[in-house]
Amino acid sequence: MIEKMAKVEILGLKDIAIDAIDVIHDLGTLHIEDLSERIGSMETKRVTRMEMDPKFAEHEATLNNLRAKVGDMIRELQPDTDNMPHEEVQNEYKALWSDNIEVMISRVEKMLREVERDTKDTVERKADLLVELSRLEKYAPIMAKVQPLAERVSKMQDMASIALIIERKYKAILNYLNEEISKITGGECEIIAQDVDDESTAALIVFNRRYLKQVHEFLAVQDVNQVRLPSDIAKKPIDEAVGEVRARIAQIPGEIDEIDRKLAGVTGRYSVKLIATRNAIHDRLEAMDAVPKFAQTDQIFIISGWLPEPEVSPMESALADKFGNKVILTVVDVREEHGEEETPVSLHNNPFTRYFEILYMLSKYPRYGTVDPTIVFAFFFPILFGMMVGDMGYGLIIMVAGWIVHKKFSQKPMLNMIGFVLTIAGAWTIFFGVIYLEFFGDWIYKWLGLLNEEGELTKYILGTKNSIFKWPLDRIEGFTFMLAVCMIIGWVHMCIGLVIGMINGHREGNYKHAIEKGGLFLVLTGAMMGIAKFGMAWWPTALAYVGILLVLGGLVMAGYGAGFGGAIEGVVGMGNLFSYARLIAIGLASVIMANVANEILREPPMSGFAGLLVGIIMFILLQALNIVIGVFSPSIHSLRLHLVESFGKFFEPAQVRYEPFKKTGGEE
Amino acid sequence: MGPALKIGLIGLSAALAIGLSAIATGLAQSKIGSAMAGAVAERPELVGSAIIMVAIPETMVILGFVVAFLITALKSAE
Repeated sequence: MIEKMAKVEILGLKDIAIDAIDVIHDLGTLHIEDLSERIGSMETKRVTRMEMDPKFAEHEATLNNLRAKVGDMIRELQPDTDNMPHEEVQNEYKALWSDNIEVMISRVEKMLREVERDTKDTVERKADLLVELSRLEKYAPIMAKVQPLAERVSKMQDMASIALIIERKYKAILNYLNEEISKITGGECEIIAQDVDDESTAALIVFNRRYLKQVHEFLAVQDVNQVRLPSDIAKKPIDEAVGEVRARIAQIPGEIDEIDRKLAGVTGRYSVKLIATRNAIHDRLEAMDAVPKFAQTDQIFIISGWLPEPEVSPMESALADKFGNKVILTVVDVREEHGEEETPVSLHNNPFTRYFEILYMLSKYPRYGTVDPTIVFAFFFPILFGMMVGDMGYGLIIMVAGWIVHKKFSQKPMLNMIGFVLTIAGAWTIFFGVIYLEFFGDWIYKWLGLLNEEGELTKYILGTKNSIFKWPLDRIEGFTFMLAVCMIIGWVHMCIGLVIGMINGHREGNYKHAIEKGGLFLVLTGAMMGIAKFGMAWWPTALAYVGILLVLGGLVMAGYGAGFGGAIEGVVGMGNLFSYARLIAIGLASVIMANVANEILREPPMSGFAGLLVGIIMFILLQALNIVIGVFSPSIHSLRLHLVESFGKFFEPAQVRYEPFKKTGGEE
Repeated sequence: MGPALKIGLIGLSAALAIGLSAIATGLAQSKIGSAMAGAVAERPELVGSAIIMVAIPETMVILGFVVAFLITALKSAE
């Protein structure tokens, strides 16, 4: 459900504004309203945006620099934030935090100096080694290519050589270089080129040593890369240099590992401090950033925002305790003063339904004042999913995998939620698997001998072939029955959406909206009554006529409520009913694929052991593929049925989510 | 009309029902998919909507599949 919010305005004496902001920041419940827009539209110039003390502005720049430094250190040291004890981070945060910014800055600077002292040399050495490794790895293959030629050149006393590396697409430049260097050397030069990889070509220019200076000067003004090795290697003969480069390439990773081991020790010592410092700076800067959103006059400050209704009293008490009557909190009636569109939305669901709020990672929150449909999603999503997959074996795998993900990623909200939703969806998959009597396809049918030689279901555990309700319910044989069930589920699902639409219309006092939704409800109900006549011979004809009347009446109501668009919506709604056919269609595709995998195992394409092996491999691959598709596709389609077919009937997105102005408390 | 021709026509009808709707879905998904890929490259937060958008034309092939299945069921009912 959507939490009830209160709009509040806090007024107080200007000289205690910063202290009051600190109290509000500590409480962490107020969603701040940016007053700058309202101030801009005011006629009076007495109310202005709150401005920060110039002294604080200076501190802001220092804190931003410190934040960048801490960020760099965290990137270099890579502390394991997932397994960091929160209490220690909180204690460190409290030790760093001070109401006096200067004190806090000096504490942070002292801590950073300590970290720098212990890590600077090691970190710099690691960076140098990484640069060296990347350069050597780039040049090693080039040197290997030019090595045979360079060795021959080195034996010729009066010849010199220069190695170049050129992008392959610009290889034609070698002709130009050859012409120009020939002119410089009077024809005493040659260029030999070889492709190193898909992107680069190595070239060796061999020329008379007399022209070394001129050739170097010429190449310096051309945009070509000369292969320059570290000075100690460059002086050596090429074969020795190649050997040394290879040796260094093999040696450097070991040195980097050694440095990493040393850094790990330092990281352990400082990781908590660094994370706490990052959080403290973040909180301090956030408080500073919030200041321009507040207003002021010559004497007072004004802070406006929203908070959940139960949080009003604690805030009132906290402000009164600290400032007495120097700060006043007033609750403004949201409906009178502000539209519900700008009210931030916070959801407050029970622990079970809360996991299904994952829906709002794909969609915005519902608008304030409307109905939160999370519970509808929590109820229907797993059922629709289970109905589509409907296999005990698959359900078991999905449920166990979901539970493992849920438990393993308890600190990662998104994966934690996905894991829980899959667990529930897996349970419903098992439930529908029992109804369909499917266990990795048709194994149970075979074991119980329910199929005849052609593979058709002839025996039932409950009921007979002609019974309406029988068990097992074979999806292939009972396709038309399942199609009817899917449409009934679709009707219920969409009608729930329409009822919510009517409630929303009533809550907003928009009765035409409610009438439109009521009309659509009648259209869908009437359509179902009409369709039933075509599907079931025993359905009374009179009820089909009543259905037609309901459709006509519903279209009139929808037209009255929303004009021509409402009537069109009624026709589209009837089409939406057929969209629920996917519940059986997708499941059917899945069961046929599972049966194919089983058939391959039962009757392998070859005889003997090889055939059995091929059969087992094919069976595992196809079943695994079916499970993957069985998780992905039904999730998407179940989501789509919610977001398009059902929620599309009533959902109004919120503009703003409730994001309180609060300190991380060392847990960013 | 001979029974073989009848069965053949029923099979052809089922194939057309699923085949044509699959082509239509493919065409629609290719356009939506490329547009959404561009949108997601600019605004990664749209990935959820992108998945739903791409799934929307699948209704056509699903209904095609249902019709094809009903046509073949017609054959087996005889």
